[in-house]
Amino acid sequence: MMGWIKTGKEMSMKWISALAAAGLLLAGLWAPGATSNSAATAKDIPIGVVLPLTGREAKPGQYQKEGIDLAIKQINEKGGVFVRELNQKLPLREVFYDDGSDQAKSAGLAARAMSSDNVVAVLGGYSTALGEAESVMPDRYQTPWITTGAAATSIFDRGYQWIFGTLSPVDLLGYTTAEFLGSLVDAGKLHKGLNVALALENTDHGVDYGNGIKKWIQEHGGYFAVVFSESFDLGSPDFSGLLQKVKNAHADIYLADAHLQDYITMHRQYVQAGMHHTMISYGARGPETDARKALGDATDYIFAGIWWSKNLPYPQVKRFVEDYKGFTGREPDSWYAATAYEAARGLAAAIEKGGTLKKATIRDELRKLELRESLLPGQVLRFGKGGQVDTPFVIVQNKPGGKVDLVYPKDGANGEAVVPPASQK
Amino acid sequence: MDTADFANLLVSALLLAGIYAAMSVGMTIVYGVMKIVNLAHAGFLMLGAYFVLELYESWNVDPLAGSLLAFPLFLLAGMLVHWLLVKRIPVSDQPTLASLLLMFGLWLVLQNIGYLVWGNSDRSILTTRTLSSLHVGPITIPTVRLMVFIPAVCSLLLLEFVLRKTWYGRAVRALMQNRYAGRLAGIPVEKMARLTFGVGIGFAGAAGGLLAQLYSFSPDFGHGFLLRSFVIIVLGGLESFWGAAAGALVLALVETFSILVLPAGYQPAIAFSLLVLALILLPGGIAGIFAKKQRWA
Repeated sequence: MMGWIKTGKEMSMKWISALAAAGLLLAGLWAPGATSNSAATAKDIPIGVVLPLTGREAKPGQYQKEGIDLAIKQINEKGGVFVRELNQKLPLREVFYDDGSDQAKSAGLAARAMSSDNVVAVLGGYSTALGEAESVMPDRYQTPWITTGAAATSIFDRGYQWIFGTLSPVDLLGYTTAEFLGSLVDAGKLHKGLNVALALENTDHGVDYGNGIKKWIQEHGGYFAVVFSESFDLGSPDFSGLLQKVKNAHADIYLADAHLQDYITMHRQYVQAGMHHTMISYGARGPETDARKALGDATDYIFAGIWWSKNLPYPQVKRFVEDYKGFTGREPDSWYAATAYEAARGLAAAIEKGGTLKKATIRDELRKLELRESLLPGQVLRFGKGGQVDTPFVIVQNKPGGKVDLVYPKDGANGEAVVPPASQK
Repeated sequence: MDTADFANLLVSALLLAGIYAAMSVGMTIVYGVMKIVNLAHAGFLMLGAYFVLELYESWNVDPLAGSLLAFPLFLLAGMLVHWLLVKRIPVSDQPTLASLLLMFGLWLVLQNIGYLVWGNSDRSILTTRTLSSLHVGPITIPTVRLMVFIPAVCSLLLLEFVLRKTWYGRAVRALMQNRYAGRLAGIPVEKMARLTFGVGIGFAGAAGGLLAQLYSFSPDFGHGFLLRSFVIIVLGGLESFWGAAAGALVLALVETFSILVLPAGYQPAIAFSLLVLALILLPGGIAGIFAKKQRWA
């Protein structure tokens, strides 16, 4: 009897084991089709968003999230994205993670969104450092990734097949900055042969920025000469040594490539040290509200090369500014929200064009995408070779009274570039 | 580099050293008496900065006065934290994992409270002093740095006076040397630990208020300063206030002047290298060198 019972238990165990194995096998067999299966029963389209809402990049991260949230809200208000193979419109569902401005966390969260959450694509990666960390995940998990805030060319030069970016390369930022200064020489506002001092953040962003400036200067002999070029550490509490070296270089123009906090700290110490240059720029930072509050009039006449400006003379930009204001209660602060908004719109357009939630198809459609009436300069969102857009930069300049004018290129400008007399700086 | 440039850099380094010393002395005193590496120090620096900002924006209280007011308030807050949390950690002569985890957790909680209350904007205090400078011959001295340096140094002198001339100070020094002997001599160890933790947090709050006048800050504020505080107290010899002051001076001088021969991008490597060198070559820190010299004399 006992033996029979034992045998029965063994039999039961065998049956349970066999059923479990079959279940696992079925799950395994069905796994590759999980996307299409979930697509067949999908109620929404999950999109991963990984951005910093805490840590040193929190503020730009927040602006970028607001841009994505607004785009998703607007798309969903129209019923969502039409998925042809399901013959229905599906709303976008945001799966958001705050990476805390931490590179390791950023990469881990992008992987989590792509694997556990099985999103159709991931948006995010604000700042070059965080974007670089995330950029290794898309090819590993074969999920499209659009960075909304990383622009270093090193990210897009590695031959990755699943990455895209709505920011133009940083070397173009450097090039446009020098080109703008050259236009001031041509206009007789600056002399030829002025000396330039460069202070660059010690990231690929800084390297690209410096290379862009030097490239333009090499191509246009006699305009400017770089007499000082050095990198600095992000988040340093003291720039007095670096600024002393800049001072000793006796340059006429000071061009730094800095993040928001470093821009505030460095410019504060710059003013305290009694330094003066004919023209000053902190790369893509300059018009931010936090900086103007922290530094007051000292930010007047600083110019910045940025990926987007609310002063662009396009009707869709005016609509976006109004919508953003209605959504957040304030106007966009610099360029951050617009490039993220465009990434979300571009992704929705690619899904609709592909007519499926299959990631490979979405990736292929992103490659072919040509989104008209884009907010970006040039009004077309198109991902170039390597996945990065190639839209032109615009130059804005802070003016007294908290005003910010778009001053370059000329055809889109709403204000004149000013070379302030020494007494006004 | 001419003499004027050298003098300017020296002044910058001295002003920076004063700030570094003020921000690390709170950590030193807590470590000395309780053998706790206060990772939450950065969180209290951040709260001190916001405290001074709120006083300035709401009641127009001068940030220097705000920093002074921060001290007693944060002292009480520190005593409360000790009573609620720190006293529950088992007493040890060495830093324990439990204390490290507790203080790290507390730092995260403080950071998140900061985000809940103040959001993630970069805030700053802009006064008439912020961008002005004094010119002494060829030397340029940023007014706000000087105005922060003076109270920072005064607070160190006051602390030294308290430690040398009061019963509390003598008790603290006794506990730093030998906790058990101190107890046998009749020092109320628990009470002293609570008060000392409060003093450490008081210094952190006041230092945060001073730093708020120099930098923009968000709830993430204090990260970079925490690392430097570590370097300073290790350089100083972990348990010595004047060692910490000397450590602050060495770090500030090395950071400032090394930029003349190295690119500014290597600044963090300099701090780390100093930490490694101090651990290998000077396990007793700068204070250890003086102690040896005294013994030989």
